[in-house]
Amino acid sequence: MAAICGSTLYLSKMAIDDDLRSVAAGLQRRDPELIDRLIDQYQHRLFRYLVYLTANRERAEDFFQETWIRVLERGHQYDGRSRFDAWLFSIARHLVIDWQRQKKAQSLESLVEPQLNALPELTDTETPSPLHLVLSHEESIAVQASLDRVPAIHREVLLLRFQEDMPLSDIARVLGAPLATVKSRLYRGLENLRSLLMERQHE
Amino acid sequence: MNDEAIHSRAERLIAQDFVEGIADADRRWLEQHLRECQHCGTSAALTGRALRALNSAVIPTPAGLAQRAQFRVHLRMQERQENRIQRGFLWIACAASWLFGAVSAPYVWSGLQWFGQSLALPHLVPEIGFGLWWALPALVAGAIVLAENARYRRQRDWSN
Repeated sequence: MAAICGSTLYLSKMAIDDDLRSVAAGLQRRDPELIDRLIDQYQHRLFRYLVYLTANRERAEDFFQETWIRVLERGHQYDGRSRFDAWLFSIARHLVIDWQRQKKAQSLESLVEPQLNALPELTDTETPSPLHLVLSHEESIAVQASLDRVPAIHREVLLLRFQEDMPLSDIARVLGAPLATVKSRLYRGLENLRSLLMERQHE
Repeated sequence: MNDEAIHSRAERLIAQDFVEGIADADRRWLEQHLRECQHCGTSAALTGRALRALNSAVIPTPAGLAQRAQFRVHLRMQERQENRIQRGFLWIACAASWLFGAVSAPYVWSGLQWFGQSLALPHLVPEIGFGLWWALPALVAGAIVLAENARYRRQRDWSN
């Protein structure tokens, strides 16, 4: 039984590796059908990440398009040895940081004042807040308000780990930082979040 | 172990469990502690709910988001293709120019020498003239390419 499970896992991993290699080959050829398929496949996750990063839906859409332009132009740099979403998110992240540097002469790491980088309002008059879908109204406000106050540098890794379910090694790739730094930011972010949630609980 | 150390250990294990998992022995200790300590239990529960909510949160994508991106990517592909053709012509023109220059150089040099001698100009004048004739087309082509690149970068600079 264990052997069968082991074989199944091995075959699954091989299938995933083959898929990544075919994506890499397609990007090097600049295969339009592949890129269209990738845009469809990753649109929701990438847009969500950009919305959290930029706190602005319109800007997030601009970055969304620009990210895929970069994927087209730099597809030859993706070698298929790592997950595609990690590479994709790292491109998006660099675009946002470059833009922020131009606008504010700051990097994401230097945005330590959480109020300067509050999360976007996820609720609108027509669509319920995504957090409302899973929590009561009070809880979703508490979670969102607490997340707002977590510094951007920590919030980002919380989103990548717990929203995108990215392995730590892939997060390190997205951030271009060592694994130890990713863990450190995660622990700090969780500590911040925990303290803020407990603070609200006692209010 | 005093109370503060126990709570610190619990907080550390709660975070570690979320980030990278904990050993079975630590998990048993933590579960026991969370059953006994209301504060730590509440803290773990709140954090867990918040992180699960984050995982489930869906931000509605604008209608047509993917289609607009696909359209832009296809436009860019077309642009690249056109640029490649133009560059191809440019390289052919450069090669032809170089070939013409190489073939005609002796004649141009002779012509300039004769011109210089006819007007009794110093030797340096036809020599500089020949140098300019040789280098000027390349300088002009280089300036055009740089200007085109700068214009392209300005068009793509979306901080404007």
